[in-house]
Amino acid sequence: MNPLKQFLVFYCLLGALQVQAQQSPILKKQSLKSIDSAVLLNPFRDKVQAFNKSIKKELGKVFIDFKGNDIYLFSGIGLSKQYINTGSYNANFNYDLANNKSAFKPGYFAGFRIDGIYKEKHLYSFGFGLDRITTGNDYASSTSLQPFLGNFSRFKADDQFLNLSIAAHYKKLIPFKPNERSKFYIVAGPAIDTRLSGQSADNLVNNNYHRFLLRAEIGVEYENKSFYTLFMHYKQGVTSFTKSPVSTHLNSIDIGLMIKASDLF
Amino acid sequence: MKKFIITTCTSLFLFTSCNKDTTGAEVSLAYQMISEKVWYLDYSQTTSSTGTITKTYLGQSTYFVKFLKNLTTIDSDGLNGSFTVEKSNGILQIHVKAKTVGSTNLEYIYNIETVGANNMILYYLNASSTIKFYYNTIH
Repeated sequence: MNPLKQFLVFYCLLGALQVQAQQSPILKKQSLKSIDSAVLLNPFRDKVQAFNKSIKKELGKVFIDFKGNDIYLFSGIGLSKQYINTGSYNANFNYDLANNKSAFKPGYFAGFRIDGIYKEKHLYSFGFGLDRITTGNDYASSTSLQPFLGNFSRFKADDQFLNLSIAAHYKKLIPFKPNERSKFYIVAGPAIDTRLSGQSADNLVNNNYHRFLLRAEIGVEYENKSFYTLFMHYKQGVTSFTKSPVSTHLNSIDIGLMIKASDLF
Repeated sequence: MKKFIITTCTSLFLFTSCNKDTTGAEVSLAYQMISEKVWYLDYSQTTSSTGTITKTYLGQSTYFVKFLKNLTTIDSDGLNGSFTVEKSNGILQIHVKAKTVGSTNLEYIYNIETVGANNMILYYLNASSTIKFYYNTIH
């Protein structure tokens, strides 16, 4: 199963769970199975709830002014592109750029987020997620050795990464309310990505990629009566993902769905 | 909570510390790029103090050399032997030890200027001139 199919299956599962979460227990007669599940032992659910409680308790102790922390699970699709300037980079290898695609390419991500309010005034969120990034690569410059070699680069950018992303957001409610159920937020903040995947053989030669990447994130979020939140974030690379003299900025557009963990478990 | 933090930090450390970076990556990549291919000579170029002379072999029957995964090599002149890729004084080289059709031992070293998936430029220094060979996998 390719990564896109895996993501779609995961997304459909989340969707199904979310639909279940919206069902009102008053309107629908509870089945024997659901009554059983409430009474019977469910080690996984119990563990998640215990983890949830302990996180809330510990966060409450450390972050005194950070109230109303709710844990959300999120997942979505991320379109990414690297902007590459090879500078004076030199290596014995050359890579043909004739078939290089510089479009945004899709990857996927999933994780959890803690949303709360600081000093009962400022909305914030802390997100922890795993990003499977696939990138299009846009080379700012190329070399050629006519008539023998057309456009080529001595640096080959990797196009697959698995990153651990940690983000902090400041959230602001937008005074735009088409109906009672909807809330719109604008979010912004820094995100630190840690590359968990290895480098390709081409980049191991000079160990070109950094382990960490700092990105700035800005986006909009649509909350539907606390049932779910749809979001779209743009991440702009602040630091270069590669070591000098190659400069690589990784930019992404993340589109996803977020659901309160307590609605799922 | 402490347990969670310790688990997270340990996992992060393990993820970030275990990688496959190796010092022989350059030689290994060069092996991958040149092996299991037939390299046809497209151009040769001799540069000396008097100028540069370029010869083209495009569209003609030309010299070719084959480098195999098992580190053996054979060329169109009938030379048959073994090869290694090595790095000496910061220069990536192909070192060939071969035998001619008449079983005479022959050894030569070419410096790699650049190598790609389908092209390669080799050179060597001869007295005051530099001789370059432009190879391609498609002829």
